[in-house]
Formats: sequence, structure tokens, C-alpha cells
Amino acid sequence: MATPAEHVAPPEHRIAYPNVVVGAALDGDHDFDADAIVVGTGAGGATAAARLRDAGLDVLMLEEGALHRTETFVTDPATMIRRLYRDAGTTMIFGRPPIIFAEGRCVGGSTVINGGMTWRAPERVLDHWQRDLRLPDSGPRAMGPYYAEAERILHAEPNDPDTFGGNTHAFLEGARRLGWPVARAPRNMRRCVGLNNCALGCPTGAKQAMHVTEIPRALAAGATLVTDARVDRILFKGRRAVGVRGRLLDPDGRRRGRFRAHAPLVVLAAGARHTPGILKRSWLRARMIGRGLHTHPNAKVVGLFDRRLDAWIGTHQAFHIHHFLEEGILIGYAAVPPGLLAAALPGIGEENARWMREYNHMLTAATLVEDEAEGRVVLGPDRQPYMRFDLSPRDLQTVHRGVARTAELLFAAGARRVLLPFADLPELASADELGRIRDRPPVPDTVELMTVHIMGTARMAADERDGATDPSGAVHGIEGLVVADASVLPSSIGVNPQETIVAMALRNADRWLATRAAARRRAVGA
Amino acid sequence: MSPRQTRILRAVIAAIRPRGHGFDQPIDEDVLASIETFFPHLPWPLRLGLPAGLWLVELGPPLFARRWCRFTSMPRDAAAAYLARFQHAGGARAALLMGLRTLVFLAFYQHPDVLASLDVDWAGRADTLVRRRAEMLGGHAG
Repeated sequence: MATPAEHVAPPEHRIAYPNVVVGAALDGDHDFDADAIVVGTGAGGATAAARLRDAGLDVLMLEEGALHRTETFVTDPATMIRRLYRDAGTTMIFGRPPIIFAEGRCVGGSTVINGGMTWRAPERVLDHWQRDLRLPDSGPRAMGPYYAEAERILHAEPNDPDTFGGNTHAFLEGARRLGWPVARAPRNMRRCVGLNNCALGCPTGAKQAMHVTEIPRALAAGATLVTDARVDRILFKGRRAVGVRGRLLDPDGRRRGRFRAHAPLVVLAAGARHTPGILKRSWLRARMIGRGLHTHPNAKVVGLFDRRLDAWIGTHQAFHIHHFLEEGILIGYAAVPPGLLAAALPGIGEENARWMREYNHMLTAATLVEDEAEGRVVLGPDRQPYMRFDLSPRDLQTVHRGVARTAELLFAAGARRVLLPFADLPELASADELGRIRDRPPVPDTVELMTVHIMGTARMAADERDGATDPSGAVHGIEGLVVADASVLPSSIGVNPQETIVAMALRNADRWLATRAAARRRAVGA
Repeated sequence: MSPRQTRILRAVIAAIRPRGHGFDQPIDEDVLASIETFFPHLPWPLRLGLPAGLWLVELGPPLFARRWCRFTSMPRDAAAAYLARFQHAGGARAALLMGLRTLVFLAFYQHPDVLASLDVDWAGRADTLVRRRAEMLGGHAG
């Protein structure tokens, strides 16, 4: 018999999810009606859905993935990647170099699998949007209240020191010795206890991802959620969006039934890859749909220490280094499970084993790069969206500088060797060799990059020649069709985008509601 | 996967899996089973490409290593050396090796026996911390 202690559960394990229709259990054709349809339930979609429901609209959320409750989360990466990640985490951005891309495909979207970083976009970025790109009310002052509201929704707070692990202390020590200021990271969590399983779903419930915050709140208020529902295209009546159609999927992604959903407002929030994919599949021909892809790529740098760090004991990224943000460089660190880190280390067989024997002596850091190059999303022959992005020469220089600074920090922290993300320069034996990174030929093909921060593929712009959406996130030239995810961000923001996605969704939702109210007043007047 | 593809994958696992340094656990069949659970979740280009890649590995020794045999009949050390050369070949062969080693390492290093040998107990820590946080927040019995 279980002891009472075994039954103690955190509040996030006891959340009620009313009004959920499990699409995987439905066969045949189905029709839904609502005032607003929200496609996708990540940071932007869940925020928009809750905001619209708060305003009294009958909201229907459509999510391609399943609802996975917090109490079902485990620490096995293979299990959780299969459940929570699109394509089991194997998505690739094609280009020079190819970049591995991961995103969530579950209720809550990528908020379920992110590190929970909750940063505002730098003021210079917001100034650029308002002043140079002529997007009204997108500067620091106008966005301030929306960011404050986003921080309340996300429950942004710094980690308590009792959650700091050996990797955090080593990271801080390296920065201190170099005189680099560190930024204590606000993260969307409620009393994190430092399990460090953020990227695989937080079993403790501490991370306040959308599936434990805005989605159940919207459901409790009367919104409806259909899971396992993949939207294929938008339905139109003339130049007005009137709904969507799509397929219901079983847990293995196979088709079961079909659905149509009808509403006068369609909110796309399927992420910066699939939102332009849906727009393109819907035969919208605007030139800017899918253009402007920014990837905010990161390059991993691993330090090997004589002392044990036990990086898996302690929290995820309690600090960042923002000291070099003006150069487009952000430095962070993370504990990566053995099965995932091993793939990033050299060799097979005995060679890989030799590296992995030192797993508990490793600090995995990364440099994230604010990219200036722009890629695109295109439809493949299977009508699915594929991404293409090439680093610009300047981006490559920034990667070099960021990797060099990260390696410098690891040596300063006491690393005796540092592994680099360059196939032609895999490791450095001391800080004296840092110049070898500068001397490396600027060849992108041998750089290993990954990202979880794509943005900009339906960006906001006053003129439809510059962006797919207007300054409120509404698709140019189409009534009743708006976008509420990272697609609308007009440029690379240089920091983790979660909070900006939420803030922008709040800002734009106010504008959609104002447009709707004006239309209703006109209708009543007529 | 067909029995033939499974046989090739089994030989790939034997060649790629870590050895020595405390990593000699006899878990190849568990690794194989874990990899097979991934297949339905891969996008269709990979679901088609991976079996084709296994055949490339199987029939490649005459082309890429000047050995007149199939991969599955090579001695283990020779098979490992043959696969290791894929890494430096670039293009599709390098991508194939990257994918195969990712699958093998994920299944291998997350196996409970291997985690124990690494002195990593993420799952045990999760149980402890879920309970600790619940108590801190006044969780209830239920």
C-alpha cells in the first residue's frame, strides 16, 4: 500500500481540462463553429485564445499534438521526444550549414519543452521596429505594459540559489574571473526545484508552460480544445477567412477523420514554420509569406573539468551573459542528458565511450547568435513547409566570436579541454589556443548549429511588400485572418522569444478586438 | 522494418555502440527495440530514407572500403572502422552516420544500466523533487 507521502502531488498534477475533444478518438467528418478559431496552442496561440475568451468570444483551439498531462512526464528523453516533439526532434533547416531545429507538437506547444527563459526584447530592437520599420506602438514604452502582463501570465521569477548546481557555479566562476557581468535569468516557473528536465517537459509542474496556465484557464472559462487536429488550409469567402479545414490524427500521426471549423476570426499560431505553410497551402500568393526567416542559431561548446560538476543536479540556465548582446552574442549553459550529449561528442564505439566516461565532469555551454541573414519557408512536393537558411559572412563571424568567448569563459572556469562545434577544429587544449578559432577559415559547412527560436516568416510591416502581416498581425489583404506567433516578429530579437511572442499576442489581440467591435458597430448602425 | 533491415540495424548497433571505459553492458537488443519505437514518429522522408540508408551501409563495403563482402559479414572492428569513415565522407553518408549514431547513443546512454554506470539518476531525482515541491506548495493527498 502506498504511503501518504507517495500521494502528495503538486498543484499542476491536479489541473482539470474541461471541454477537450480528443481528435485521435474521432472517425469520420466533423464540423465545429465558434466566434474565433486559434490554430496552435503554444506561447502565442494559448495567450490569444485566453485573451479572446476573456473578451467573451466563443473560442475553439485546434492543436495538432495531444494533451500530455504534467503527471505523465518522465525523464527518459526517447519517450518524451516521441511524445512532445514534432518529427521526434529530427527537423532540419536546409542550407549552409544545415541547422537542426526542434519544436513542440503537443498542447502547450514549445512552451512545454523550452528552457522557460523570459526575457524582454532589447530596447534597441523595439526602437528599430517602431522607428525604422514604422510599426506603431512597438517601441519599448508602448510594449512595456504588454511585457508586464506577459511576465504575470508566464510567472517570471529567478531561480532560488538552493537550485544552483555545479555547472551554474562553474559558469559564474568563469564570468567572475573574466569580469563579465551575468544576468540572473527570469524564467516562467513557480518555485522551481532544479530538476533540469525543462526540455523534456517539467514533471514537477514548476515550469508554467501554457498547458498548465492559459489553456486550462481558457477551457474553464468555456473555450473548447480539439487535440490531434492538423489544419491543412484556410477556408475563404471572397477575401474573407471564414474557417479552416484539416485532418484528425491518431497517436502515430496517421489520418483518422476530417474536420471543418467555421468562425469569422481565424488566428494562426502554428509556429514560424507551419504558419506560413498553412498560408501557402491556402493558395495565398503574397510574396512575403514565408520570407524573412530568422533562426537565432546556437553553437554548443563543452568544457571538460578535472572536478566533478554533476551538471544534471541543479537547475537549467539560472544565468545568462548578455554583456555581448550588442555584438549579437548571448551565452548560456544547460545540462544535456547523456543520450543527447553523446551525439554531439566525437566518434563512435570506444572513442565516444572515452569522452562520455567524463560526463559528470562536463559543462555544456552555448552561444546564441542574433542573425542578420534571412531565409525562407517553402512548400515541398508533399505540400509540407521546408526551411532554407544560409548564414551570412557576418553571422559566421559572430558565431566565431561567440564560440571564442564561450570557450574563454570555460577555460577561465577551470576547464582543461574545450570541445568546439567545428568539424575542422574539434577541440582546444588551453586558453592559449583560442586564436585558432579566429584563424579558422570562415567556412560555414563544418559548423554544427541547432535552434529552437525561429521567427519572422509572416512578419509585420506597414506595407505588404515588406511583410505578410500588417502592424496588428492581420494578414494583408484578407479579412478575419491574423497571426499570433513568432512569425510576426519583424526582425531577429537576439534573446529567447517566448516573452515577446506572448507580449505581441496580447498587443495584437487588443487590436483584433477593437476591429471586431468597430465592425459590429458598423453592422448595427447599418 | 523487414527482418533483413533489422539484421543490418543490429550490426550497425554493434559497430556504433560505445565499448570499454565501463560501457560493455550487453544491451544491444534493448537498443534495437528502443530505436524501432522511433520509426513511426519520424517524418516520411526519414521513414523512407533510413531503410534505404541501411541498405547503403550493407552493400557499401565494395564501393567505399574495397572489401568484397557485405557489412553484416564484416568483423566488428572492421565494420566500426568502415562506418567511422562515413563521418569524413561528407554528404549523404555523413548525414546517415549522424542519424544512426544519434539513434544508437540516445537508446544506449539512456538505458538504466548505463545511467547507473555513469552515476546519473535523473528519474530518482525527479521522484524526490516532485514530492519536495508538492510539500513546499502544500500539496494534498490524492
